Amino acid sequence: MPHQCTTCGRTFPDGSKEMLSGCPDCGGNKFQFKPASETADEQPSPGGDKPPATDRQSPSTDRQSSPTDRQSSPAGSQPAADDNSTADADASAPESSRPDSGTPDGQAANANASDSEHVRERSQEDVAQASARSDVVSPDELDRASRDVETGSSSPEPGSDAPTDTEGPRPDINDLREELNEQFESIRIVSPGKYELNLMELYDRQEYIISLQEDGRYVIEMPDAWGIDDE
Amino acid sequence: MGLLTNLKDSISRVTDGLFAADEPKRIGIYGPPNAGKTTLANRIARDWTGDAVGPESHIPHETRRARRKENVEIERNGRKVTIDIVDTPGVTTKVDYKEFLDHDMEKDDAVRRSREATEGVAEAMHWLREDVDGVIYVLDSTTDPFTQVNTMLIGIIESQDLPALILANKTDLPGSDVQQIANAFPQHETIPLSALEGDNMDEVYTKIAEYFG
Repeated sequence: MPHQCTTCGRTFPDGSKEMLSGCPDCGGNKFQFKPASETADEQPSPGGDKPPATDRQSPSTDRQSSPTDRQSSPAGSQPAADDNSTADADASAPESSRPDSGTPDGQAANANASDSEHVRERSQEDVAQASARSDVVSPDELDRASRDVETGSSSPEPGSDAPTDTEGPRPDINDLREELNEQFESIRIVSPGKYELNLMELYDRQEYIISLQEDGRYVIEMPDAWGIDDE
Repeated sequence: MGLLTNLKDSISRVTDGLFAADEPKRIGIYGPPNAGKTTLANRIARDWTGDAVGPESHIPHETRRARRKENVEIERNGRKVTIDIVDTPGVTTKVDYKEFLDHDMEKDDAVRRSREATEGVAEAMHWLREDVDGVIYVLDSTTDPFTQVNTMLIGIIESQDLPALILANKTDLPGSDVQQIANAFPQHETIPLSALEGDNMDEVYTKIAEYFG
């Protein structure tokens, strides 16, 4: 039961959808995150059976409460949590209750600082906003959003989930582009009027580039019929 | 695929040899930009056909499309050799329009020339793969021959088992160093010449007949 409404004290299990629209009892939108070890004896709430959607959302709600969480979380469950250890709080707390939660939490945690500040600045969130948030946010969006914030600051953890590889923006995109260039590109357009050529690629490819376009496209002449038969 | 391609190449070479022995050999004139390829091509064409192949220029990448001069008959020692000369765009790994701006060219023209030059390199490489039976590799003997482009192209030519003649051009210029080129590619014979002045062309024709006849 890691989440507690800071206004009325109602508690919610980790990943609860209810709290995403605000506290159903008092409408409050600030929640305190309680580490699993602290709340375990109160009401063990396994999170393994929860749908991933709600599970992934938990970091964002965690974030809202992270400032208070730091105050309330005892040293018992996590060693020396300092001010920038929101990530640690997220990561260590759910380990017993969220066995299926992978790196997205850890990644999202990096974004916590700035994210939670935004949230705190918002004094009130009306019903429409709350509803929109609870209805629309999908795990993918959450993943993307969290990575956007952490752009460039850190690369995904080695064990990160598959989606991070395919749609994860920035950190590695330049490396990836370079790698792709090296692997596939025979003509690299550095800028208009500036080209780099991979002679071996040009020599090796059967089709023949006959016209470069301004916008980076190019026209090729396909191999003749004999060549196609061979392939 | 590689196997099939190799097989195709082998078959086409055998059939070429069997049925097209009298067809003129296509000799590609290759080399980096501004080595004097077109000057040489024009010299050969004028000497034996009276026509030119294409315009020459001191601006790099003047030749941006491969140009062919067919049925050039060269007579050496009572023997006739017929070749098709393919003058190819200069091969390079980088093309930058800025290098043309120094030649009083507007930016738009320079960018277009740069794009065409890049297409030309692609075309030259394609010809090398598909369409030439031998190579005349032209180098400016006043410049360092140890470049990536030269090494790569000579390597490709060797891997294709194409007969290759290396010409150390621009011997009329003061900084010419033919020996440096001979040292760079000791596995090939290096012939000095000045395509512009026509110096040592006799030896060049003799070697062309010998290599490509």
